[in-house]
Order: sequence, then C-alpha cells, then structure tokens
Amino acid sequence: MSQATADVPGLVPDDIERPPARQGERALARRRRAAAYGMLSPGGIYLILFFVIPLIIIVQTSLSSSDLFVGGGKLHFDWNWSNYHTAITEYWEYYVRSIIYAGIATVLCIGLAYPMAYWIAFYGGKWKATLFMLILVPFFVSFVIRTVQWNFILGTNGLLLTPLKSWHIVPQDLVVLKTPGAVIAGITYNFMPFAALPLYVALERIDRRLVEAAKDLYSSPSVAFRKVVLPLSYPGIFAAVILTFVPATGDYVNSSVLGGTGTTMIGQIIQNFFLVRHNYAVAAAMSVVLMLGMLVLAIVYARALGTEDSTLAAGAGG
Amino acid sequence: MTIDPKDMDGLAPSLARGLTQRRLSRRDMLKVGGISVGALSLTQILAACAGSSSSGGGGGTSAASAVNFDPATAGKTLNFSNWPLYMDKSHGTYPSLDKFKQQTGITVTYNDEINGNDTFFGKLLPQLQAGQDTGRDIIVITNGEYLTALIANGWATELDASRRPNFDKYAASWAKSPAYDPDNKHTMAWQSGLTGLGYNTEMVLQAPTKLDDMMSTDYFPPKSVGVLKEDAPNLVMINLGIDPITSTQDDWNAAADWLAKLRDSDTFYAAYDQGYVDDLNAKNLSGTMAWSGDILYNAIWAGHPYEFIEPEGGSLLWIDNMLIPAHSANPAGALELMDFYYLPENAQLLTEYILYMSPVPEVQKLIAEHAKQETGKYAEQLAATAASPMLWPDEALLSTVSLGRPITNQDESDAWHSTFDTIWEQ
Repeated sequence: MSQATADVPGLVPDDIERPPARQGERALARRRRAAAYGMLSPGGIYLILFFVIPLIIIVQTSLSSSDLFVGGGKLHFDWNWSNYHTAITEYWEYYVRSIIYAGIATVLCIGLAYPMAYWIAFYGGKWKATLFMLILVPFFVSFVIRTVQWNFILGTNGLLLTPLKSWHIVPQDLVVLKTPGAVIAGITYNFMPFAALPLYVALERIDRRLVEAAKDLYSSPSVAFRKVVLPLSYPGIFAAVILTFVPATGDYVNSSVLGGTGTTMIGQIIQNFFLVRHNYAVAAAMSVVLMLGMLVLAIVYARALGTEDSTLAAGAGG
Repeated sequence: MTIDPKDMDGLAPSLARGLTQRRLSRRDMLKVGGISVGALSLTQILAACAGSSSSGGGGGTSAASAVNFDPATAGKTLNFSNWPLYMDKSHGTYPSLDKFKQQTGITVTYNDEINGNDTFFGKLLPQLQAGQDTGRDIIVITNGEYLTALIANGWATELDASRRPNFDKYAASWAKSPAYDPDNKHTMAWQSGLTGLGYNTEMVLQAPTKLDDMMSTDYFPPKSVGVLKEDAPNLVMINLGIDPITSTQDDWNAAADWLAKLRDSDTFYAAYDQGYVDDLNAKNLSGTMAWSGDILYNAIWAGHPYEFIEPEGGSLLWIDNMLIPAHSANPAGALELMDFYYLPENAQLLTEYILYMSPVPEVQKLIAEHAKQETGKYAEQLAATAASPMLWPDEALLSTVSLGRPITNQDESDAWHSTFDTIWEQ
C-alpha cells in the first residue's frame, strides 16, 4: 500500500531539495502532476458537490431554528446550539444502543463470514468465483424486501417458531420478533456480504507458500493460522469492520421492521425528527453527532489495530 | 404484505376489499419504502436550506381573496392526490371521476400517493415554503397538527362558501364546521372513521369491554396486544375521562403513564404506525387499538372472526379532509369536485367500494335499497354494510366520540412528541 502511494506522481512534495533540473524535466514533472490532478478531479468534484457541500449544509442546518406553525418551518441560521443539547442529552442512550447492536452484529458478521471466506479462498478451487457469487446472491433482492421477509421467518406463528413450538423445543410463548435479538439478527444478515467481500479478497491474496513454510518449520495448523494467515488477513478484517459497523450503527430499517418498543436505534430517532416532526435542525444535529462519533471510533480503531498489526508482523518476521 | 390496488382491477370489489386494508396499505408502503425515504431526507435538507435563503415570512399568506371560484373559469384538468384504496375503481377506471368528467368536461388525474400525513406534508413543504404551485389541486389530510400547520401558514386555499350547494344540503352534522376548521373555511370532509378496540373473537379469553382490559391476561393471551402510536394518546385520554380537546400537559402525562403501564404489561406485543392488520391476520395479535374500517372490512367482507367495539369510555373520531393547496392551478374545478362528492348518489359510489364513514348520511338508505336489488352473498354484504352502526353513527354513538387534541403551535408540538414518542422508543 505505502509503496503504491509513493509511486503516484504529484503526491511527492515539491522538489525543493533536489538538484536543479533542466527545463524539459521540470515541464515533464509539471505535466505528470497535472495528469494526477486531472485523474483525481472527476471524483474530487463529485465529492465536493455531493459530499462536502451537503455536509456544510447539514452543519448549518444543525445550528438553525424553525417553527412549523409560524413561518412554515423555514430554517433560520442563528447559531442555535440548543439543537446539540437536545440531540445529546435527551437521546444519548440511543447512540449507545446503536453502537452496541452494531458492535454485536459486526462481531457476528465476521465470525460467520471469516470461515466461509477462508474456505472459499483456500479450498474453492475453480468454483471460487461461483461460490463467492452465492454469498452475494441476496444482494440482488432489495434490502427492504429482504428485511421484511424476516418478519415472516421470525413471526410468532412464522416459519421458524411454528415447528420449534410444535416439537416443544422452545417455550410456547417465546417471541423473537420485536426483541433486540431480532434486530441484531437482521443487521447481521443484511451486512454479512459487506464483511465477506473484503475478507475474501484479503484471504485470497495470501501466498500459500507462507503457510507451507510455517508447517515446514514445525508449526501446527492452528499456530500457522494464528501466526501467518490471521495477521495477513488483518487488512481484510479492518475493512470488514468499518464497512459493517459504520453503516449498521446508522441503520434504521432493521430496527423499524424487526424491532419493537425498546429496540429503537438512533437512525429511527433521526428519521422521526426528519419525516414526522419536520424538525430538520435537531435531526441534522443528531446526524453530525453520529458522524463525529463514528469518525472518532474509526480513528481510535485504526490506530489500535494498526499498532497491533505491525507488532504482530514484526513478531512474525523476527 | 401490500397489494397494489392496480393489480385488482379484475377482481370483484368485495374480494378486493377483503384482500386489502386501506389504512394499512397507506403507511406500510412508507415502511417498505424505507430506502427511498432515506433518499428523500437529503432532498429535503437541500430544499429546506434553499428555502431558508429566500426572504423569510410566512411563505405566502392566504391567497383567498384573489382566488376565482367561478366554474366558468375552471381549467380542464385537475390533479387529485389521495390515499391508496380510497376511491371507487372498476377495470382500471374510476367510475365516479368519469361521471364528473361527463358532467363538467374536467379530466381528473387521480394520484394515490399519500401514505402518511407527516410524510406527504414534508413532500409539499419545499414548494409551499417557496410560494409555488405544488402541482396538486386537491389533497386529503387527516385532522391533526399537519392540517393545522397547513391552515396556519395560509397554505390551504380559503373556499367560496356560496359554491357548494350539495355540501350545504347533504353534509352530516359532524362534517359541518368542525373544531379544527370553523365554518369549513378551508376544508370539506372526504371520509371519516373511529379508532377503538378490535379483536379476534377466537383468540381472546373473554370479550373486552373497556380499554383497561388491554392490560389484562384475563382477556388477552400474553404478548398479543397492539397499540396505534399516533391515536393512542387521544384514545387513552378519552377513556381516562379526559376531554382531549382541552387537555393539558398533566392530562398528557396521565395518558403517557397509562400507555407505559400497558407497554410493561404481560399482554403487550407492539406499537404500530401502520401494519397492525397484518399482525392481526398472522395471529401475532389477539386484540389491538384499531381503525373501524379495517376491522369491519375483514369481518364483513373477508369473513375473519373479528369484532370492533367502542370501549366503554368512548372512541376517537378522525376526519380526512379535502383541501386546495395554495397556488393551485384550478381551484374552481377543485371546489366543483369537492361538492360533487356530496351528492348522495356520487357518495354512494365511493362508500360501496371503500366502506368508510361517509359524510353524506343519505348514502345509508341508497345502499340498503341497492342491497334489495342484488341477490346472494353480495346483497347480504351490502345489507350488513348499510346496517353497521360504526359506518352510520347515530347521535348516541357520536356523543361518546371525540376528536383528538388540536396541536396549534411549535411548543405544543414539541411537548406532545416529547411526552408520547419516547414511550415507544425506550
């Protein structure tokens, strides 16, 4: 990764300390730099238009006030910090709950996806692509439809509980739908392909000879896995965690469809403020808080895993 | 599971009714459309912000005085936005709208796009704030805070009271000069209904009679009772002996305490925006707060063992209202159509298909006569429809119902939502 970035022209700092170059070389360097910016600009412009500007608008909205009955709910920017006060003091538990649900779901996703990705990457042979496609097949069905189907599966008289109850495997009054378990199961199911994809890519890339070398050096299969395969798959796990945990925390479809009283996540609260109460200011403040919270968590996590990664890599190397 | 009304053209109306529940379908679609709702949010942020940069003010004060209601000036097209399954339909056309076209030459573009008062209000908000035509000439909004906000901001066109003879002659007493719109200055009722208690007679342990029974396992099996989030506060206040119209924060707290007690009781299963009929049909629910129409359809037309009762303390009346959004392109045509539906034979077309409480009491007689002309099961069902006390409330019943608490300003709205939304979010 680091090697690749250093090779990209234009990302090298200005050549102040280099020996004076000739005209032609300078022009060439300038052209290279221009080419790099040229390649970056379509994506850059896109991000400025559809990410940076909306972000600024959201921050501005979060500091505005409005009244739906007088002035028709128009937003007035007046540094209204009380939106943040409302967003945090009245609703902090929903952020915590969302992080807990998303955290559990992320662990489950990786726990389920890792062995699957591992098996496909190492033993899939010529069927690799096909097998991996099978993991992605649910993606061809709309996210919401998939979630609603779980209603039928987990319902009190649904596909899962009816036979279990008639065989007296579970208590007759067991209710799964509307519980935290149902929401976490829904999130896990819906986000698992996001975990499987980077895990598979990371595992598939591992040089098999390294595992053979470990075995040649008398390591047991489990030690070889722990010392070689697992550390080499860290980038995949890192990406899987980010891709699963961040969107899962803000998700509101699973908790709306599968959850009940007591499983409300912050996404639902934001949705309620936006679409029901038309209080865009508090909704925006909540979004900003959630965004910053996720950013901080991601940075902390990146640092923590980054160090662990290098230590282990060093350990493996030494 | 929502059934697209478009797919049902070939079906007999009675069957179509049995398969669907109007109120359910409305917001279920919203729920299922979760992702598109997410996309809508961003548009709304942008639109809302675009609005804030324009000069403030009330966003176009009432354009009433300038509006011309002379039928001679009516445009030839009319855009009518309504809730799904809320209009008579036969083989892909709307018979009553066709009749209107024959009489007036006005072509109505009918759009069943409203799935929730809150979300539909949000959809029109950017245009209303900017003082622009919303592209709709008639919309249907339930009495409540969004209707109040529309009127308060001058976004509901003031109607010409001299140009609605059918309304003057045939409108039910409850539809005339409702508390939320004195003298029907801005609105005319489309249809109405009651929120009470619905239950499955085969699942309950004994027939409930009062709202408190919802908490008792003597009446309902454990984990099988539902609540309608939006209507619950008012229904509970009515049954606590509080008049919702004049209720205060203390009364709201009392209702919130009652609801929290129900939530924590053994019988409670879930709180709903929409979709409770699905759970009733799936037997996840044995009883629930319910809309009269949903239960009546399923009992009369689909043969489910359901009963709808008014709890001892009374039930909640809600009214869906037609109104003309500000800057409509064809207000004269819109008012003509609104009055058209107050002629009994036109209102009958509607009621026989959608089976909600008609603002035209004469329709009851017409349906009873129609039942005599028909034979077999259809005649029986029509007769049952004509006889249902919940569709044709008499004075005795009307004296036990109440409209919900009017929410008239932002502070009240915030206080109301803070009191009641949190019960279900915990």
